[in-house]
Amino acid sequence: MATMIAIDGLSKAFAAAHTATERPALSDISLQIAEGEFVSIVGPSGCGKSTLLYMVGGFVAPSRGAVSVAGKPVTGPGPDRGPVFQEFALFPWKTVLGNVMYGLLQQGVNKPEAEAKARALISLVRLTGYERFYPKELSGGMKQRVAIARTLAYGPSILLMDEPFGALDAHTRTGLQNELLEIWERDRKTVLFVTHSVEEAVFLSDRVVVLTASPGRVKATIDIDLPRPRRRAELLVDRRYQTLMIRIEHLMDSPQVQP
Amino acid sequence: MSVRLSAIPGLPPLLACFGLLALWEMAAKVFGIAGLPPAHEALYELPAILSDPEALINILHSIRRMSVGFVLALAVAVPLGLAMGRSRIVAAFFNPLLMMIYPVPKAALMPIIMLWLGIGDAPKTLVIFLGVSLPISYHAYQGARAVEEKVLWSAAAMGMSPRWQLLRVVLPAALPEIFVGVRTGLVLALITMVTSEMIARQAGVGNILFNSLDMAQYDAVYATILIIAALGFGLDLAIERLRSWLIAWAEPVHQLAVGTA
Repeated sequence: MATMIAIDGLSKAFAAAHTATERPALSDISLQIAEGEFVSIVGPSGCGKSTLLYMVGGFVAPSRGAVSVAGKPVTGPGPDRGPVFQEFALFPWKTVLGNVMYGLLQQGVNKPEAEAKARALISLVRLTGYERFYPKELSGGMKQRVAIARTLAYGPSILLMDEPFGALDAHTRTGLQNELLEIWERDRKTVLFVTHSVEEAVFLSDRVVVLTASPGRVKATIDIDLPRPRRRAELLVDRRYQTLMIRIEHLMDSPQVQP
Repeated sequence: MSVRLSAIPGLPPLLACFGLLALWEMAAKVFGIAGLPPAHEALYELPAILSDPEALINILHSIRRMSVGFVLALAVAVPLGLAMGRSRIVAAFFNPLLMMIYPVPKAALMPIIMLWLGIGDAPKTLVIFLGVSLPISYHAYQGARAVEEKVLWSAAAMGMSPRWQLLRVVLPAALPEIFVGVRTGLVLALITMVTSEMIARQAGVGNILFNSLDMAQYDAVYATILIIAALGFGLDLAIERLRSWLIAWAEPVHQLAVGTA
């Protein structure tokens, strides 16, 4: 399959507070993600996994290296890459419908068409009946459903998900993981998914990239060759699933490789 | 079953008003100072002032100047504050200036401004403009600074340019905070309106007040103060209504409601 995201020698250093030095966050990451592939990035907190996603999104400029999407170098944000953030980042002054329509209207889609499409997506994320609600009136899980619908609305070919279920309780979290897989199975967009949960990464992904602690480097890339559609209860008794989980947990635990 | 008095809307503030009037009435009786007439005499004076066409024209002129100064301040201070909140260079340039001008009593500038602009509407409108601009630009600045980066990124991913983000994301997101500044600005507008008319006496509510004072018509002085207070209360209530209509979507950050207890 064609390469959708090509990350080549990507590094990022942030200016450290009160000193003239720079603190490296990510070091020399190279990664190819195929079209339609679901790839998760896991690693200890502070390893720069979110920064990696922000650079693919074009929100943060790399210090060295480059990212290209569908063969074109990334120079800034664009509607081909739709982000979903842990903080939801909804427009609080817009209703559920207004949030989901926003990107479509921004793309110049006329209002009736945008509304019809937004309503279909709201139904897809199971929020029918909440169209006129404001974000403050919704639970965390509902907010993240709105955010997913808002991003899907303008039709990005890539989803960039930054610990999207990290702020939710365990029950809501597994529910949304199932829904995300259902949605993903329909059109198999390319997904780059950042998480600190190994379980979540293995359940969702085709491939899991493990980063080392700060500065983040690629420690290992593991193919998740579990059949789809996946059922959580079935996976738990699956030998291959258990082996993968143990292997990645070991990678996460093992002493850090110092540069 | 006892009915809780605070549960009846509007009753607690009404009781407070009556309490204040009663206290005033008693103080006037006890001290017997010419400069402190009893409350009922000031209240009797109200219909006379409010039915005097000349007084009404004066009041309307005051309100007009205040509105012009206020609207001009909004038009300048909101864009300035938003730009400061989103650009470090703009903030570094304007913030020290604003922080220096903020504590200066704007009415103190009146004599100088009158040297430039004469004694008509212009100097009064200018000091109102200055008084209102500072709280509004400060709060617009704070509001714009607090906009979540990821909300802006979400808009950027939809293809929205930074300039449009300022208008279509930063402005609405900062609106609750801007309204805090608007409310403070309104109070300052009222204060500078009266003090400017006190210094450049020609027309306006402040002029009625100080003319009455000169002629030792103390009941009229107090009646005018009551009118100014009622004006402030009414305008504040109007802003509050506008606020709850415009930003019903916001989390209640500042519960400041005056007219609604």
